[in-house]
Amino acid sequence: MKIIACCKIVPNEEEITVLPDRTLAMAEASLKISQYDLNALESGKTLAAESGGSMAALSIGPSNFLENSKIRKDILSRGADELNLVIDDTHEFSDSLQTAKAIAGALKAIGSYDVILCGAGSSDLYLQEVGIQAGTILDIPVVNNVTGIKIASEHTLEVERALEEEVEILEVPLPAVLSVSSEINVPGVPSMREIMKAGKKPVNVLSIDAEITASANTVEQLAPEQQERRQEIIEGDNEEAVDALVSFLRKEGF
Amino acid sequence: MAIQSVFIVTDNYAVLPEFCAGAKNLADYVTAVVFGDEAAAKEHASCGADKIVFCPVSEGGAPEDYATPIAAMVKEQPKAIVMVNNSIRGRCLAGKLSVYLDTAVLGSVNELSVENDTISCRRVVYGGTAQRKESFTTPYGVITISSGIFDSPAEVSGNAEVLPIAGAPAEPIHRISRNEKKEGTVNLVAAKRIVDVGRGLAAKEDLEICRNLAKVLDAEVGCSRPVAENNKWMPKACYMGITGVQVKPELIVVLGLSGQVQHIGGINKSKVIVAINKDKAAPIFKNADFGLVGDMYKILPSLIEKLS
Repeated sequence: MKIIACCKIVPNEEEITVLPDRTLAMAEASLKISQYDLNALESGKTLAAESGGSMAALSIGPSNFLENSKIRKDILSRGADELNLVIDDTHEFSDSLQTAKAIAGALKAIGSYDVILCGAGSSDLYLQEVGIQAGTILDIPVVNNVTGIKIASEHTLEVERALEEEVEILEVPLPAVLSVSSEINVPGVPSMREIMKAGKKPVNVLSIDAEITASANTVEQLAPEQQERRQEIIEGDNEEAVDALVSFLRKEGF
Repeated sequence: MAIQSVFIVTDNYAVLPEFCAGAKNLADYVTAVVFGDEAAAKEHASCGADKIVFCPVSEGGAPEDYATPIAAMVKEQPKAIVMVNNSIRGRCLAGKLSVYLDTAVLGSVNELSVENDTISCRRVVYGGTAQRKESFTTPYGVITISSGIFDSPAEVSGNAEVLPIAGAPAEPIHRISRNEKKEGTVNLVAAKRIVDVGRGLAAKEDLEICRNLAKVLDAEVGCSRPVAENNKWMPKACYMGITGVQVKPELIVVLGLSGQVQHIGGINKSKVIVAINKDKAAPIFKNADFGLVGDMYKILPSLIEKLS
């Protein structure tokens, strides 16, 4: 099977600086592969091995993210045989449909594929929609929150999908887009050998034919106001400290 | 000021009164799209919608299969907002609808307002680091919302017209089987008291002592993302945070948890936050009403005894 795992490069949200006017400064934040896309890459690696197929990674974003060689190597050390990139500095991709249109455009440029894997949602915008939208644009089956993938035949997967209160088993004809849940696996840490090999794998920069205008605009983006908390902090784990906590709880009516 | 039309699309009847009441404040006309037979739809005729359209999902089918006919119905209006229940199926439907309506999905919206005849939405981005306010620039817009963002009406009234959806479902995916989840479901969203467990817990067995504290407090037990996703000590449905469950209990007792911004985003609507952590510098203390800097393994047995 020919598998394509989508992964987004994002600023590490733990390293974003909040300025005094509550706006965000991203410049200092290091880049990372969006957390849940690691699950997509891991699933792709497993499925490629089980099917005797191959996995390519696909990422879309601006040049300052995707021309970073460390990031390229990081993606390629996680099981992909090659990396396809759509480098676009003209769109902000702040709306997931834009990203989905670009992914669909990239998949058309790549030509043939059996399984497209996406993570549950990106670490920055977490819309949880891109995979579904890309598959719908391509008019192929889509499933979200996938918790298990089995090969049923050359052209079919048996997919486990966990909903809020039930688990369903689906027969999914290929090609298809699957958004995997973070429950599906625990992403492995690349070995030294995989990291060494990553630098030698091919990187293809695609040019795509897709109209990707935005359909929503950002009016404002600010850090939430710090909520007022009483911050009555006591140091100690002795009897006295516990008594203070108990009397606090009693006073609050608990 | 109101927009003309809102379509509520939900795979769960329970949210209808709340969503209809919220939608009625934003729009002149509210259509609810539900999944099930006519009898079930008629039972909810007083939910507050002006019209209910039901999609009769077949035994092996799914609500998602109706995206094409729902989009066709929405397109009969020149402008509309589609409000989808933020469930797993709901998100799948929202994504499909957005493609057919050629517009964005603004997901997990926590505040809605009408400004200049268009809907503005607020949602959390960058794992809780910021709130983003966005508005649609196209005639249609799709949003996903969770229960709890509008006030639930004290009583429901109305007599909606009930109609079947026009058009057939597409069923590219065949369902082989469905089973109830084995793990017990917890409803943290509705919980009044929660014990919140973080990575300060040394071993899975130690969850027992946290459960004991929950027992004496009459609380549910939830956790941080790493406890569920990395350690897999608790089901994923138990983790609170921007990418998990967002809760608003009267009391939350946070144990051995540093308080990353993405977790705080899930618990900061709690009325009282109590934190226990041995690291004095842990950000959780800035978000706590009461904190103990100390070893939870020393504090908990004594606390449980005193509260029993």
